[in-house]
Order: sequence, then C-alpha cells, then structure tokens
Amino acid sequence: MADGGRDRCKTGIAGLDSILNGGIPRGNTILITGSCGTGKTTLSLEFLVHGALMGERSMYISVTEAPEKLVDNMITYDFFDKKLINEKKLILVDLQEIYVKLGLEKLEFTLEDVNILVSQIVKIVKELGIKRLVIDSITSICYRLTSKEEIREFILHLGKELSDLGCTTILISELLHSSEGYSQYGVEEAIADGIIFMGNLERRGDLLRTIQVIKMRGTTHSRAKYVLDLTPIGVLLAPLLKGGSSEVT
Amino acid sequence: MGVTANVVGKLEELPSASSIAIKTGVNSYFDVLRAIVDVFPARHDLYVFYVSSTIPSKNIENLFNLLGIESNRVFFVDTISHLMKESTEFSDRFLYIESPTMLEYIMLKIEYLVRKYTDKKAVVILDSVNSMSIYNGSKIMSEFLHILVTSLRSWDAYMIILSMKEQNTEEIDAMLNMVCDDIYDVEEVE
Repeated sequence: MADGGRDRCKTGIAGLDSILNGGIPRGNTILITGSCGTGKTTLSLEFLVHGALMGERSMYISVTEAPEKLVDNMITYDFFDKKLINEKKLILVDLQEIYVKLGLEKLEFTLEDVNILVSQIVKIVKELGIKRLVIDSITSICYRLTSKEEIREFILHLGKELSDLGCTTILISELLHSSEGYSQYGVEEAIADGIIFMGNLERRGDLLRTIQVIKMRGTTHSRAKYVLDLTPIGVLLAPLLKGGSSEVT
Repeated sequence: MGVTANVVGKLEELPSASSIAIKTGVNSYFDVLRAIVDVFPARHDLYVFYVSSTIPSKNIENLFNLLGIESNRVFFVDTISHLMKESTEFSDRFLYIESPTMLEYIMLKIEYLVRKYTDKKAVVILDSVNSMSIYNGSKIMSEFLHILVTSLRSWDAYMIILSMKEQNTEEIDAMLNMVCDDIYDVEEVE
C-alpha cells in the first residue's frame, strides 16, 4: 500500500513495487546503478513498457545502444507489444541525434552546453507529454562534463524541470568494479531522489544478480537485498537467503 | 490398497494449497511418483512443477515414459543437469539452474511458472530434500523451504516435498516438521 500520500508511479515489476510500498513516488529522479550485466537496462525498459501499457507515454534516451537493437531485445518479452512503438506510446531516442541537432558533437561540454541539452530534453518531454523517462546512461553524458559542479548542475537542473512536469525519471549509472559508492563521479548519488543498486553477489562460487533500494525520497521502503531473475514475463525478485557470502560489485 | 492409492488418498484429504512431506523408501518411490505426478494432478487437472535435484530432468521424463506417466503437464526446474554437464533442451518445460545451491533461483523459476501458467492450479514437487541437503546447510534449507511453502500457499498451489527414508537425518525430519502442514510416512508394501 502506498504511504505518505504521494502519488505513485508503479514500475509494474511486482516485487519492486512491493519493496517501494506501491511504486516510485511520482516525479522522482532516481539512479539505477551497477556494473555491466546486472540488468539495469532490462529493468528500465520494463518500467517503460509497463508505463506505456498503463497509458503513460514513456521515452528511452539511449546513449550507447541503437533503438533497433533495443526493440529486438524487448520482443523477447511476453508483455511487449510493438504497437506501443508504432503508436508512439513508447518512444526510443538516440541521444547522438540530439547532439547533432544541437551542435553538441564535442568531447567536452561547457555549462552553457549542459543547459542547452537539459532544455532540449525538457522540451521533448513537455511537447510529447512524457510521464516516464529513462536516460541510459547518465555516466556517458557526465563523461563529457569537465567538473563535479557541472555534473551537479546538470542532474539538479534536469531533475527539477522533469519533476515539475510530473515525469518520473530513471538515470542509469554505470559502475566500474573498482568504484566505491553508488556512482562513478560521486555526485549523482547525492542529488538523486532515489538509488536502486544492482549488483552481483558471489556465494560459494555462484554469482547471483541482486537488487537493493538504498534510498527513495517520499516513501518508506525495504532496504534488504533481493535476488532477481530476468524472465520472458519480466523481472522477478526473491528475498536473498541469509548465509555466509562475500560481495563483489 | 497399494502405495499409489494410499498416497493419493492422503493427498485428497488435504485442504487446497497445503504442503506435505512424503517420506518414502526406495522400493515405493515409483509408486509414489505415479501418485503425485500422474493420478492426483490428473484428477484435479493440475500442472506439475517438478524440482529435480537428484536425477537430470531428461532422465526423469524418460522414466515417466517407461512408467506410462503422462508428462505433458509436467514442467521441470532442473538443478542438476548443469553439474552433470548433461545436454539440455531450453523451453519452459525444462528450466535449468546452474546448481542446487542457487536456492533463490529455484523460487524464481517456480514463481515464473506459476505467474505464466495461470489457467490451472499447480502442484510443486521437490525431489528430494535429501539431495538438496547434500549441497545446502540445514539453516539455509529451512529458510528456503519456509519461504517457498509460504509463497506457494499465497499462490494457491500444493507443495509436496519428497524425502527418502533411508537417507533421512534427525535434522531433515525436524526441518520437514517445521515447514510442512502434514507429513506422510509411506508404508512399504512387500
């Protein structure tokens, strides 16, 4: 049951909505963070597809993968309907095209460039009435920013504008195996309204995919670690059984 | 009455979504299988989700064919073929887990089947608690069984845990007593 009176954005992932007491508080900007192969993109796409199925127009901004490849991946899901894309209920955007349009094809962004980029994303969200947004990944955008201040400004500005539009946003953050904390630059985790950490847990030679909600403003939530499986009916979660285990990220 | 009829009779007494441990000897094993995989599920039109940790699922399917047991309704969650490097068929009817120590994935594969195949109720069979106990300590096994039994109850599914009398320990008996609604000790038939 939802608590705190805030409207919820149901992820559609049964186990996760239960962990979050009903879903992500609407308008939150959250970080999904973890190393490669932990299921971040899959989870985010499922969040968008469920949103589109529930009538909330959803958008995926991809920095690293071509939209066609993403569609190929989604076709394996029982709940995915290609009509969602044809009818523009689910919109896949290649960030590279936005860069070209804005003349931002450069390795390093100035603060002005950051503001131009944020304004463009917000403009698209506003014009298309997007209610769910995923940016995959925020790390590759931050890579072009030259200081922590710029990263802070970028995420704060983007989060504020999108929240005002009632858009619930997932920023995917890639972690290196050697990273400490929950983000590569250390800034993202402090600014985001929520952090969902996806990792690998090694137990007696088995490698388990795990998920843990570290923080989520606007709701009480479980902070326990869960094991997840990526299945044709979507992401499923089970409680992590207690036993001697050592963690690898 | 024979073993098969006795076991079916016992299962018929159970309320819906019950959990039961069936303690059987080696000599009665096939008759018990006939009761829990064939007769009882056919009578109630149930899916059978069969967790195999002793024998690879393909071998069990062959065994069912030899016994004349209809296996179309059976879906295997196989925890042993990967360890044995057995050849595998990938479909919903044969779901593989890398090792019997990955207990959470057994729960997740069962949940997957329960959520996907919703047109009938199901009976989940764990064969066997003894072989699972070779790979897992009693604490984590108890935790696993407790969560699985509780989840299955909420999904309105039966749970049958097979245990082999010859291999039972006090620890296994205590665990079954703790997690199951009922325990049935199969009488050996000469």
